[in-house]
Order: sequence, then C-alpha cells, then structure tokens
Amino acid sequence: MVDELIIKTTNLSKSYGPHVALDDLNLAVKKGATGLLGPNGAGKSTFLKTILGLIQATEGEGTVLGHDIRTEGDAIRARIGYMPEYDALNPDMDAIHQVRYSGELLGMNPTIALARAHESLQYVGLGEERYRKIGTFSTGMKQATKLACALIHDPELIIADEPSNGLDAKAREYMIQTLTTTVKAGGRSVLMASHLMDDVERVCENIVLLHKGKLAAQGAIVDLKAIDREIEIHVWGGATRLAEAMEADGLAVRREGRVMRIGHTDEDTTTRILRCAAQTGAQIRRMHEYEASLEDLFLVIMENLGYEIKTSEDLLGSPALARKVDAPAHMGGGGA
Amino acid sequence: MTETPPVELGPGEYGAEAPVTGQGRMEAAWGSSEGDEDLSDTQMTQPTSTGHVFEQVYKPWQGELNPRWMRNWAILRHHLLGIFKKGHRPWGMPTRLFILVVFLASLSDAALTLLSGLLGEASIHQLWGVSRDNLYGHVLGFFPRNVLYYPIVAALLVGSVISEDRQHGTSALYFSRPITRFDYVGMKFISVALIQAIVVLLTLTLYYLAEIISLGRGWAWILDTFPLFLAAFLSGFLLIFTYTSIGLALSSVSKGKFFPGIGLLAIVLGTKVLAVLVSTLFDREILYLLSPYDCMAHVGQTIIGTQPTYDQYSWTWSLASLVAMNALALYTLSARVSTMEVTRE
Repeated sequence: MVDELIIKTTNLSKSYGPHVALDDLNLAVKKGATGLLGPNGAGKSTFLKTILGLIQATEGEGTVLGHDIRTEGDAIRARIGYMPEYDALNPDMDAIHQVRYSGELLGMNPTIALARAHESLQYVGLGEERYRKIGTFSTGMKQATKLACALIHDPELIIADEPSNGLDAKAREYMIQTLTTTVKAGGRSVLMASHLMDDVERVCENIVLLHKGKLAAQGAIVDLKAIDREIEIHVWGGATRLAEAMEADGLAVRREGRVMRIGHTDEDTTTRILRCAAQTGAQIRRMHEYEASLEDLFLVIMENLGYEIKTSEDLLGSPALARKVDAPAHMGGGGA
Repeated sequence: MTETPPVELGPGEYGAEAPVTGQGRMEAAWGSSEGDEDLSDTQMTQPTSTGHVFEQVYKPWQGELNPRWMRNWAILRHHLLGIFKKGHRPWGMPTRLFILVVFLASLSDAALTLLSGLLGEASIHQLWGVSRDNLYGHVLGFFPRNVLYYPIVAALLVGSVISEDRQHGTSALYFSRPITRFDYVGMKFISVALIQAIVVLLTLTLYYLAEIISLGRGWAWILDTFPLFLAAFLSGFLLIFTYTSIGLALSSVSKGKFFPGIGLLAIVLGTKVLAVLVSTLFDREILYLLSPYDCMAHVGQTIIGTQPTYDQYSWTWSLASLVAMNALALYTLSARVSTMEVTRE
C-alpha cells in the first residue's frame, strides 16, 4: 500500500561535479524496520543527507513521511530522529541535560523536554546514569545517549547510522533489543545503516542495498533469501569426486572441506545429489536445507552483479579494500 | 548517689524516665533474644521484595513541537544561561570567573562616581564622573579595558562556541533537527554578543545611572548627556559586533578553542602594536586601518565627539575598514558553517 511507505524516491540522483553519488534511485521503504546496506562509498551518507533535506538532489524527487525532500526538510527533520554514527555529544554535559537540549532544539518546551529526557534515558537503560558527565561514559552508553536524543520527541522514523558500531557484546545486544522494542512495541519505523549483517538481520525485516550510488536490491529479507536457497551436505569419502560429478551434472557447488552447499534450483536437486553420490560412492552423512544468512544473501547479490568478492568483509571492511574489490572490467569497474 | 528505681514496662515499651542505654536501638536492630529461637518463628509473614527489575517500556509522546522561534530561543538560552547555572552549556570555570572579575572591574568608574556622590568630593568626580572622555574610555579606552578586559572576554567566549561542534560532532545534533545554518550561527552570535554586552553595555548603563542617582542629576543634565551615552552605547555595540564576528570566524575554521582565542587576541592586539610601531618610527598612521581596535576607536571618537588621536585620515576610512573586516569575517563564518556536516566531519 502506498500509504505505508515512509520513504519513496523516484529517479533520485545526486552528483558532486563529475562524481555521481546517487544514480537514478527508485526506492520504496515500507513502515517497519529497514536495513540500509552498502559498501563504503556506496552513497549511504549522501542518501541519508538527501532524505533529511540537507542537500539538494541533482535530479528526481522523493518523499519522507509524506514530505517533499526538496522543499520540506524542516518538517522531515522535526518528525524523524537521527542517531549519527560518530560522536555527537558534548562530553562536559550530563546525559540528562544533553538529551533535554536535543529536545529543546526540536521546539519542545524545556519542562516537557526534561520530563521526556528522563523517560528516554530510562528507556535506553541509562536511568541510573542520567546525571553523569558524558565524557565518563563508555562507548555503549554514548550510543545509548545518542539514541535517547533521537527518541525524545517520539519520532515516527528513527534513522540509526551504525548504531552498534564499536560496542561490546552486551551493549550491542542491548542496542539491538532496544531498536527491536522500538519497532515492535513502540510501532515506530527504523532505517538502520550498518555494516554488521547480523544486527540488521535481527532488527530489520526489509533491506535496501546500495552500491556505487545505485540500488542493488530492496525488499523483504525473507523474500530476497529465496534467491539463495541451498542444500547443505556433509560428505565422508570421495568428496572431490562427488563435487566434480555434481558440477558435471550442472549443479552449483560451493565446497568447504567435506561440507558442500548446492544451489537448490528445483525439486529434483535432492535426487540429483543422491544420484551423483551413488555414482561416485561417496557417503552423504547429513543433508538439510541451508538457511542463508543476510551475509550470504549480500554475497550472492554482489556476485550476481558481477563483483568478485570472497566475503562481505572484503567489501565492507575498509575503504581501501572496498576500492580494491571492484566490478570486472567488462562491467565498467577496475577489474580487480 | 541514688540508683534509679527499675521501671516496670511491657515488652517493647520504654518510659520517659527510662535510662538511655541504647538497648532499644540494639533490640530494634539485632533482636533481644539469645539467638536460640526456632528459626521458623522468624520467617517473614509478608512477601519478600525481589527488588526493582528494569523493564523496558516504550512510552509514546503526543505533544506538539513549538515553531522556529522556540528552537532559536533554546540555542540562545543554552549558551546564555550556561554562564550562570548548571544544566546548560558548560562554560569553563576560568571563563566564568574572568567574566565576573571583568564585570566588577568595569564597574570601577561607577563605584568611584557613587563614592564621589557620597563624599561630595569634586576632585574624584572630575576624574571619574560621566563626561565625554570617560564615556569613551569606558567602552573604547585602550588600557586596561581593550587590553586586559574586553578582548580577553571575547577570546574566552568565542574560543569554542563553533569549534566545539566540529570537535565533538555536536553539529549533527543541530543540523539533524529543523535548525537552519542561519539560525544556528545567528543564535550563537547573539549569545556571545549578549554575554559581552553584560560586561560592556550593562556596566556602561550602570555607570550612567550611578551618576544620575548619586549626584541627583535632573532632566536638563540627562537631556544634555544622553546623546553622549547613546554614542558610547553605539560604540560599544560596534566593539562587541566586531570582536564577535572576527572571533566566531576564527572559531569556525578550528577544531579547538586555543587557536580562535589566541588568534583573536593576536589580531586585536598585534595589529594595534604594529600600527603604533609604524606610527612611532615613520610617522605614518596608515596601518591603523588594519587594526580593528584602532578603527573602532577612531569611529568611536568621532561619534562621541572626543579629541581624535588619528588625525591623518578621515574617520570614514576607519568605518570602511571596519565594514570590510566584518564582511570578511562574516563571509568566512557563513562559508565554514555551511560546510559543517551531519553525517561526518
């Protein structure tokens, strides 16, 4: 349904001189939690700034919560809560006053902002630390404070840029749980940009994947995973012979030692695997449908686009690697 | 010595005449038995508290957000009230103390005017009472006010006002909300200018009022001197505006508070020293046009009507130079603020 869309863009492009940061982007983000994925330089930051109404698109149009991104930036920013990736807190202020001030900057009455600051900090688990200076906070507590700043006016959409970045396991778990509660119990929408696929998968039901300013994929994670159905088998004896036989039979095989994953293309796949095993004398000791992770999905999408990558770490790890891992030359990339 | 007769009391009862032994408190804390009682008797009849368990509950908010003026007021209030109380912008204690000291020191002429009124001493009044030269001196006098007081106050204030947002990334806090760059920089400018106005213009007003009150000045005197007061007030405004625009421009190009502060002092005092040296050695005053202080002093002397110390050139040169300096500073400020990022610096 159209009215369920919180973000919609049509042919959205943004160029910085000759560099195209966003290229003809047609997005439709539904209410709920959506992950924004993409390697460094994919255009995530430019996309966020464009939908916040902070920079003007070169071409195309878009709406956020029904407001035009070209002309109603103020209205958009009043209705969303933005949690930046980097430090955005004054280390000399108490958490309570920092959060209250962030509410006042939205136009909240100081008394109401203070009351909401208490509630927001309580919600993110900093109720007992409200009067501590932010400079003494751990990374997890700072992230939670930034989230409290974003939530103070109960926004309809929370844009969280790398919310679990740099957190230890406990703090990360709590952040994920808080975002999930905000979506499920609070009924709010979250657009979560992250490099951590596991976190995105736990919070979000939809993803948007950008690459080189273009839309690589969008939709429900469950639906997208269907393009990557595999059968996992554990082989004992004759694994190489079996792999060769299956490949000769036209099956897509990925092998890691004696564990193999075979593309589940049709209903006969299982029969074909067993037939190959019978022919080669290999023992299949375990066989089951493999549930792909978001990371697998990401790799498959990138491979489908023609990018030669081994793991998502290669692509998402560092800007240097991101540049190195490029599209093949025949697709216009560097051919790395 | 007579012994206190034993008092017959029921268990748990203590009469007023009972000796203070601390026994009651001990019993309340530890019980009065030997500790051999059946433990089943001591079991609590009320359910035990398991303590407070944190429960994460999302609380919606249905309120309305106020319009633009309220957001701007929040920025102004944050910076201004931070000088006086906790919970707002955390100005450093040295800054707050120095402003207090300068405020009190700036009231020295007002205090001496009050003293001359109380003592009826004409000689003190001649030196410190309201006059054309003293009004000029209160605002634009070089030593000590424009060496030790006002430029240092300005340097301490502007040092981190914008640079801290770059340093800590707090610009994201502003620009991810419906705050325009113009409002952001405008409110920061007004905040810093208002704090300086407390030191410069409020003390000037108190000085003028002290003369009226202590010497019982009438309407004729007020009508006679009010234009001078207004001219001094305008000069003070010019001083505050110029120091603020140059200081904030420096703050906007930096990520620390040292460079903007020391940069402002270097510009204000360095150019003044240079102009003095050139004037002394070569009898040429042209370099004072590079000095913000000298230009303000020249314009101030003209509008207040005191004896000009810069007589080789017209005051309009100084005014033009001041306008150019402020324009350059404001251009730098706006250009730098427009590049401040939300996503990353």
